[in-house]
Amino acid sequence: MTIEQLVDPDESNSAVARLSRPWHDSKGVTVMRGVGWTLIYAGFLILGFVVHQLFITNIFAQRAQDTLESELAVRIDDGAQTFAYVDPATGDVVEVPEFDPTVGGGSSGGGVDLGEFEDRLFAYESAPDLGEALGTIRIPDIGLDWTIVEGVRLSPDLKKGAGHYPDTPIPGQAGNAGIAGHRTTYGQPFHDLGELNPGDRVFWDSATGTHEYEVREVFVVRPSELWVLDNRDGAWLTLTTCHPKWSATERLIVVSEMVGGPNFGLFGEPT
Amino acid sequence: MIRWVYRSLPGPTALRMSLFVLITLIFLVLLHFFYSWVGDTFLDPGGAVE
Repeated sequence: MTIEQLVDPDESNSAVARLSRPWHDSKGVTVMRGVGWTLIYAGFLILGFVVHQLFITNIFAQRAQDTLESELAVRIDDGAQTFAYVDPATGDVVEVPEFDPTVGGGSSGGGVDLGEFEDRLFAYESAPDLGEALGTIRIPDIGLDWTIVEGVRLSPDLKKGAGHYPDTPIPGQAGNAGIAGHRTTYGQPFHDLGELNPGDRVFWDSATGTHEYEVREVFVVRPSELWVLDNRDGAWLTLTTCHPKWSATERLIVVSEMVGGPNFGLFGEPT
Repeated sequence: MIRWVYRSLPGPTALRMSLFVLITLIFLVLLHFFYSWVGDTFLDPGGAVE
Protein backbone atom coordinates (compact mmCIF):
# COMPACT_ATOMS: atom_id res chain seq x y z
CA MET A 1 0.00 0.00 0.00
CA THR A 2 1.37 3.39 -0.93
CA ILE A 3 1.51 6.46 1.28
CA GLU A 4 -1.24 7.99 -0.81
CA GLN A 5 -3.45 5.02 -0.26
CA LEU A 6 -2.80 5.05 3.48
CA VAL A 7 -3.89 8.64 3.88
CA ASP A 8 -6.71 8.59 1.34
CA PRO A 9 -9.93 8.88 3.32
CA ASP A 10 -11.92 7.42 0.43
CA GLU A 11 -9.89 4.20 0.56
CA SER A 12 -11.94 1.98 2.86
CA ASN A 13 -8.97 0.13 4.31
CA SER A 14 -6.70 3.15 4.64
CA ALA A 15 -5.39 4.11 8.08
CA VAL A 16 -7.21 7.42 7.94
CA ALA A 17 -10.49 5.75 7.03
CA ARG A 18 -10.12 3.19 9.82
CA LEU A 19 -9.25 5.84 12.41
CA SER A 20 -12.09 8.10 11.36
CA ARG A 21 -14.68 5.27 11.34
CA PRO A 22 -17.25 5.86 14.13
CA TRP A 23 -16.07 3.99 17.23
CA HIS A 24 -19.49 2.53 17.94
CA ASP A 25 -19.46 0.62 14.71
CA SER A 26 -16.84 -1.78 15.92
CA LYS A 27 -17.97 -5.33 16.72
CA GLY A 28 -16.26 -5.37 20.12
CA VAL A 29 -18.07 -2.26 21.27
CA THR A 30 -21.39 -3.68 20.11
CA VAL A 31 -20.79 -6.83 22.13
CA MET A 32 -19.70 -4.83 25.16
CA ARG A 33 -22.80 -2.69 24.91
CA GLY A 34 -24.96 -5.83 24.75
CA VAL A 35 -23.23 -7.27 27.80
CA GLY A 36 -23.64 -3.99 29.62
CA TRP A 37 -27.35 -3.76 28.99
CA THR A 38 -27.80 -7.42 29.91
CA LEU A 39 -26.10 -6.78 33.24
CA ILE A 40 -28.26 -3.72 33.83
CA TYR A 41 -31.45 -5.71 33.15
CA ALA A 42 -30.19 -8.54 35.36
CA GLY A 43 -29.52 -6.02 38.11
CA PHE A 44 -33.06 -4.68 37.89
CA LEU A 45 -34.40 -8.25 37.90
CA ILE A 46 -32.46 -9.10 41.07
CA LEU A 47 -33.39 -5.80 42.72
CA GLY A 48 -37.03 -6.51 41.90
CA PHE A 49 -36.72 -9.95 43.48
CA VAL A 50 -35.31 -8.51 46.70
CA VAL A 51 -38.07 -5.90 46.89
CA HIS A 52 -40.69 -8.59 46.16
CA GLN A 53 -39.43 -10.92 48.88
CA LEU A 54 -38.80 -8.26 51.54
CA PHE A 55 -41.80 -6.00 51.01
CA ILE A 56 -44.40 -7.21 48.51
CA THR A 57 -44.93 -10.61 50.19
CA ASN A 58 -45.34 -8.86 53.55
CA ILE A 59 -48.08 -6.68 52.10
CA PHE A 60 -49.95 -9.78 50.85
CA ALA A 61 -49.62 -11.47 54.25
CA GLN A 62 -50.72 -8.40 56.19
CA ARG A 63 -53.83 -7.98 54.04
CA ALA A 64 -54.64 -11.68 54.56
CA GLN A 65 -54.14 -11.25 58.31
CA ASP A 66 -56.72 -8.47 58.41
CA THR A 67 -59.25 -10.77 56.77
CA LEU A 68 -58.34 -13.70 59.05
CA GLU A 69 -58.79 -11.59 62.19
CA SER A 70 -62.33 -10.76 61.09
CA GLU A 71 -63.03 -14.41 60.28
CA LEU A 72 -61.75 -15.52 63.66
CA ALA A 73 -63.91 -13.01 65.51
CA VAL A 74 -66.96 -14.35 63.69
CA ARG A 75 -65.94 -17.95 64.41
CA ILE A 76 -65.63 -17.25 68.12
CA ASP A 77 -68.85 -15.21 68.24
CA ASP A 78 -70.70 -18.00 66.46
CA GLY A 79 -69.82 -20.34 69.30
CA ALA A 80 -67.40 -22.68 67.59
CA GLN A 81 -66.63 -24.19 70.99
CA THR A 82 -68.47 -27.33 72.03
CA PHE A 83 -67.60 -30.13 74.41
CA ALA A 84 -66.17 -33.56 73.78
CA TYR A 85 -64.71 -36.55 75.57
CA VAL A 86 -62.31 -39.30 74.65
CA ASP A 87 -64.01 -42.68 74.49
CA PRO A 88 -61.73 -44.94 76.55
CA ALA A 89 -62.75 -48.00 74.54
CA THR A 90 -61.78 -46.66 71.12
CA GLY A 91 -59.62 -43.64 71.95
CA ASP A 92 -61.76 -41.55 69.59
CA VAL A 93 -62.83 -38.00 70.40
CA VAL A 94 -66.62 -37.92 70.74
CA GLU A 95 -68.08 -34.46 70.26
CA VAL A 96 -71.19 -33.57 72.27
CA PRO A 97 -72.41 -30.42 70.52
CA GLU A 98 -75.77 -30.41 72.29
CA PHE A 99 -74.20 -30.45 75.76
CA ASP A 100 -74.61 -27.13 77.60
CA PRO A 101 -73.25 -26.99 81.16
CA THR A 102 -75.27 -23.82 81.85
CA VAL A 103 -78.56 -25.67 81.35
CA GLY A 104 -79.64 -28.31 83.83
CA GLY A 105 -76.18 -28.57 85.34
CA GLY A 106 -74.22 -31.66 86.26
CA SER A 107 -74.06 -34.55 83.89
CA SER A 108 -77.34 -33.67 82.22
CA GLY A 109 -76.40 -30.26 80.79
CA GLY A 110 -78.84 -29.28 78.09
CA GLY A 111 -80.77 -32.50 78.63
CA VAL A 112 -77.77 -34.65 77.66
CA ASP A 113 -76.96 -37.37 80.18
CA LEU A 114 -73.24 -38.04 79.89
CA GLY A 115 -73.08 -40.34 82.86
CA GLU A 116 -69.54 -41.51 83.54
CA PHE A 117 -68.11 -39.38 80.72
CA GLU A 118 -68.92 -36.09 82.40
CA ASP A 119 -65.55 -36.03 84.17
CA ARG A 120 -63.80 -36.53 80.86
CA LEU A 121 -65.36 -33.52 79.12
CA PHE A 122 -63.06 -30.92 77.66
CA ALA A 123 -63.56 -27.74 75.64
CA TYR A 124 -63.51 -28.74 71.99
CA GLU A 125 -63.64 -27.10 68.59
CA SER A 126 -63.59 -28.78 65.21
CA ALA A 127 -61.20 -27.56 62.55
CA PRO A 128 -62.47 -25.02 60.01
CA ASP A 129 -62.05 -25.54 56.27
CA LEU A 130 -58.56 -25.22 54.82
CA GLY A 131 -57.53 -21.61 54.45
CA GLU A 132 -59.85 -20.31 57.18
CA ALA A 133 -58.87 -18.74 60.51
CA LEU A 134 -58.37 -21.11 63.45
CA GLY A 135 -56.86 -19.12 66.32
CA THR A 136 -54.14 -16.71 67.37
CA ILE A 137 -50.66 -17.51 68.59
CA ARG A 138 -48.90 -15.05 70.89
CA ILE A 139 -45.31 -15.18 72.14
CA PRO A 140 -44.65 -11.97 74.11
CA ASP A 141 -40.92 -12.72 74.51
CA ILE A 142 -40.35 -12.20 70.77
CA GLY A 143 -43.30 -9.91 70.04
CA LEU A 144 -45.15 -12.52 68.00
CA ASP A 145 -48.91 -12.14 67.50
CA TRP A 146 -50.37 -13.86 64.44
CA THR A 147 -53.70 -15.29 63.40
CA ILE A 148 -53.24 -18.89 62.34
CA VAL A 149 -54.88 -20.37 59.28
CA GLU A 150 -55.99 -23.99 58.87
CA GLY A 151 -53.63 -25.84 56.52
CA VAL A 152 -49.98 -25.75 55.53
CA ARG A 153 -50.30 -25.60 51.75
CA LEU A 154 -47.58 -23.32 50.44
CA SER A 155 -50.26 -21.46 48.55
CA PRO A 156 -52.63 -20.11 49.69
CA ASP A 157 -52.43 -21.14 53.39
CA LEU A 158 -48.88 -20.20 54.34
CA LYS A 159 -48.95 -17.05 52.23
CA LYS A 160 -51.41 -15.74 54.82
CA GLY A 161 -48.89 -16.15 57.63
CA ALA A 162 -48.60 -19.39 59.62
CA GLY A 163 -50.74 -22.51 59.32
CA HIS A 164 -51.92 -25.43 61.42
CA TYR A 165 -51.00 -28.94 60.20
CA PRO A 166 -54.45 -30.43 59.46
CA ASP A 167 -53.32 -33.95 60.40
CA THR A 168 -52.45 -32.90 63.94
CA PRO A 169 -54.79 -31.99 66.84
CA ILE A 170 -55.91 -28.41 67.21
CA PRO A 171 -53.87 -26.50 69.83
CA GLY A 172 -55.61 -26.55 73.20
CA GLN A 173 -56.54 -30.20 72.82
CA ALA A 174 -54.88 -33.53 73.55
CA GLY A 175 -51.89 -34.65 71.51
CA ASN A 176 -49.20 -32.85 69.54
CA ALA A 177 -50.53 -29.87 67.62
CA GLY A 178 -48.32 -28.54 64.83
CA ILE A 179 -48.01 -25.07 63.32
CA ALA A 180 -45.70 -24.07 60.45
CA GLY A 181 -44.76 -20.54 59.41
CA HIS A 182 -42.50 -18.53 57.12
CA ARG A 183 -39.35 -17.15 58.69
CA THR A 184 -38.25 -14.50 56.23
CA THR A 185 -41.08 -13.82 53.77
CA TYR A 186 -44.87 -13.37 53.81
CA GLY A 187 -44.86 -11.36 57.00
CA GLN A 188 -42.08 -13.53 58.50
CA PRO A 189 -44.28 -14.65 61.42
CA PHE A 190 -41.63 -16.99 62.86
CA HIS A 191 -38.62 -14.74 62.16
CA ASP A 192 -37.43 -14.69 65.78
CA LEU A 193 -38.40 -18.22 66.78
CA GLY A 194 -34.72 -19.07 67.21
CA GLU A 195 -34.49 -16.66 70.14
CA LEU A 196 -36.84 -18.78 72.27
CA ASN A 197 -35.47 -20.77 75.17
CA PRO A 198 -36.91 -23.50 77.39
CA GLY A 199 -39.26 -21.88 79.88
CA ASP A 200 -40.58 -19.16 77.54
CA ARG A 201 -44.35 -18.90 77.26
CA VAL A 202 -46.54 -19.43 74.21
CA PHE A 203 -50.23 -18.45 74.23
CA TRP A 204 -52.95 -19.89 72.03
CA ASP A 205 -56.26 -18.02 71.74
CA SER A 206 -59.17 -19.72 70.01
CA ALA A 207 -62.86 -20.55 70.41
CA THR A 208 -61.99 -22.77 73.40
CA GLY A 209 -60.30 -19.91 75.27
CA THR A 210 -56.67 -19.10 75.99
CA HIS A 211 -54.24 -21.97 76.55
CA GLU A 212 -50.75 -21.40 77.82
CA TYR A 213 -47.73 -23.44 76.77
CA GLU A 214 -44.16 -23.53 78.04
CA VAL A 215 -41.25 -24.11 75.69
CA ARG A 216 -39.48 -27.40 76.43
CA GLU A 217 -37.10 -27.87 73.49
CA VAL A 218 -35.60 -25.89 70.60
CA PHE A 219 -33.68 -27.85 67.97
CA VAL A 220 -32.92 -28.17 64.26
CA VAL A 221 -33.82 -31.07 61.94
CA ARG A 222 -33.89 -31.87 58.24
CA PRO A 223 -37.09 -30.88 56.38
CA SER A 224 -38.09 -34.54 55.93
CA GLU A 225 -38.08 -35.41 59.64
CA LEU A 226 -41.81 -35.85 60.10
CA TRP A 227 -41.39 -37.51 63.48
CA VAL A 228 -41.43 -34.07 65.12
CA LEU A 229 -45.20 -34.10 64.54
CA ASP A 230 -45.77 -37.57 65.98
CA ASN A 231 -48.54 -37.67 68.54
CA ARG A 232 -47.64 -37.50 72.24
CA ASP A 233 -49.34 -38.15 75.53
CA GLY A 234 -50.53 -34.92 77.12
CA ALA A 235 -51.04 -31.63 75.27
CA TRP A 236 -48.20 -30.21 73.16
CA LEU A 237 -47.64 -27.51 70.59
CA THR A 238 -44.87 -27.87 68.01
CA LEU A 239 -43.81 -24.90 65.87
CA THR A 240 -41.76 -25.41 62.70
CA THR A 241 -40.01 -22.88 60.47
CA CYS A 242 -37.11 -22.62 58.04
CA HIS A 243 -33.52 -22.65 59.25
CA PRO A 244 -31.21 -20.90 58.87
CA LYS A 245 -32.87 -17.68 57.82
CA TRP A 246 -33.09 -17.29 54.02
CA SER A 247 -32.53 -20.99 53.51
CA ALA A 248 -34.67 -24.06 52.84
CA THR A 249 -32.09 -26.59 53.96
CA GLU A 250 -33.25 -27.24 57.56
CA ARG A 251 -36.15 -26.70 59.93
CA LEU A 252 -36.12 -25.06 63.36
CA ILE A 253 -38.41 -26.85 65.80
CA VAL A 254 -39.86 -25.39 68.99
CA VAL A 255 -41.68 -27.87 71.23
CA SER A 256 -43.87 -26.57 74.05
CA GLU A 257 -46.20 -28.21 76.55
CA MET A 258 -49.55 -27.00 77.87
CA VAL A 259 -49.25 -25.50 81.35
CA GLY A 260 -52.49 -23.54 81.63
CA GLY A 261 -55.93 -22.90 80.16
CA PRO A 262 -59.44 -24.39 80.22
CA ASN A 263 -58.24 -27.85 79.21
CA PHE A 264 -55.09 -27.87 81.33
CA GLY A 265 -54.78 -31.04 83.41
CA LEU A 266 -57.47 -32.93 81.49
CA PHE A 267 -55.02 -34.82 79.32
CA GLY A 268 -52.56 -35.86 82.03
CA GLU A 269 -50.04 -34.04 84.15
CA PRO A 270 -47.31 -32.03 82.38
CA THR A 271 -43.83 -33.51 82.33
CA MET B 1 -35.96 -2.57 25.02
CA ILE B 2 -39.01 -0.78 26.38
CA ARG B 3 -38.93 1.64 23.47
CA TRP B 4 -38.45 -1.23 21.05
CA VAL B 5 -41.53 -2.99 22.44
CA TYR B 6 -43.59 0.20 22.23
CA ARG B 7 -42.51 0.93 18.67
CA SER B 8 -43.29 -2.64 17.62
CA LEU B 9 -46.92 -2.26 18.62
CA PRO B 10 -49.42 -1.65 15.80
CA GLY B 11 -52.10 1.00 15.44
CA PRO B 12 -52.56 4.60 16.54
CA THR B 13 -51.08 6.04 19.72
CA ALA B 14 -54.12 5.32 21.90
CA LEU B 15 -54.16 1.66 20.87
CA ARG B 16 -50.40 1.41 21.30
CA MET B 17 -50.59 2.85 24.79
CA SER B 18 -53.39 0.48 25.79
CA LEU B 19 -51.54 -2.53 24.44
CA PHE B 20 -48.37 -1.39 26.15
CA VAL B 21 -50.11 -1.07 29.53
CA LEU B 22 -51.69 -4.50 29.06
CA ILE B 23 -48.37 -6.11 28.17
CA THR B 24 -46.71 -4.42 31.16
CA LEU B 25 -49.39 -5.72 33.54
CA ILE B 26 -49.10 -9.27 32.17
CA PHE B 27 -45.33 -9.02 32.48
CA LEU B 28 -45.58 -7.89 36.13
CA VAL B 29 -48.00 -10.70 37.01
CA LEU B 30 -45.71 -13.29 35.41
CA LEU B 31 -42.75 -11.72 37.22
CA HIS B 32 -44.64 -11.99 40.52
CA PHE B 33 -45.26 -15.71 40.01
CA PHE B 34 -41.63 -16.23 38.99
CA TYR B 35 -40.33 -14.39 42.05
CA SER B 36 -42.74 -16.31 44.29
CA TRP B 37 -41.56 -19.62 42.86
CA VAL B 38 -37.88 -18.76 43.32
CA GLY B 39 -38.48 -17.51 46.88
CA ASP B 40 -40.64 -20.48 47.88
CA THR B 41 -38.17 -22.96 46.40
CA PHE B 42 -34.84 -21.62 47.52
CA LEU B 43 -35.28 -19.07 50.32
CA ASP B 44 -38.29 -19.89 52.48
CA PRO B 45 -40.66 -22.73 51.58
CA GLY B 46 -42.97 -21.97 54.50
CA GLY B 47 -41.28 -23.89 57.28
CA ALA B 48 -43.38 -27.04 57.06
CA VAL B 49 -41.81 -30.46 57.51
CA GLU B 50 -42.87 -32.75 54.67
